[in-house]
Amino acid sequence: MSTESATRHRIALALGLAAAITVLVSGGLLLREYGPGNMGNGFLVGGLIAIAVAGLSWWRSTTRPHTATTFERAATLTGDERDDAILTRALAHLGLWALPLTGVAAAAIAVGAPVHMVLALLMFCQLAVVTVAFVVINRRN
Amino acid sequence: MKNTVRQLRELRGLSQRRLGELLGVSRQTINSIETGRYDPSLPLAIAIARYFGSTVEEIFHVD
Repeated sequence: MSTESATRHRIALALGLAAAITVLVSGGLLLREYGPGNMGNGFLVGGLIAIAVAGLSWWRSTTRPHTATTFERAATLTGDERDDAILTRALAHLGLWALPLTGVAAAAIAVGAPVHMVLALLMFCQLAVVTVAFVVINRRN
Repeated sequence: MKNTVRQLRELRGLSQRRLGELLGVSRQTINSIETGRYDPSLPLAIAIARYFGSTVEEIFHVD
């Protein structure tokens, strides 16, 4: 990575981190005030863990690129062409599955399933799809 | 796609990690290319061929 592109990458990461923290804090405070149960606290803890994992991945992929995993390099956009291809294909699988999963969730809500539970399940299903797709594609390529 | 990257690399006594460093890709990418699980892009294939002083056609084979 050239010095210029490394600087651009650092600026983009700093802006992304600032945006993530802004969304996390404002969303967390809103949910704590108006959300049901402990949703606000859950949002804040989950968001903080995600930011910490992203930060650790970025640190590993920039300071120790040879020990970083494909996921760490791909997620922090510091990977090579194979890492990019794997991430793109995994996200394409997520896109393919998103429509039927959303359809099933909408049908479940229509027949009276609890909305909160259906939305949470939908999110976990989508996370599972992208995780499994990434792992399988990474092993096969 | 089959290729002779592994043989060429071993002839020069290079590790996958070192070849990856020289070509600007990860060790995993070199391993995947050598085992035929990943077909490199044209720019990377040309970079590999240039590094070994050969041509893309000599290193990469369709069958």
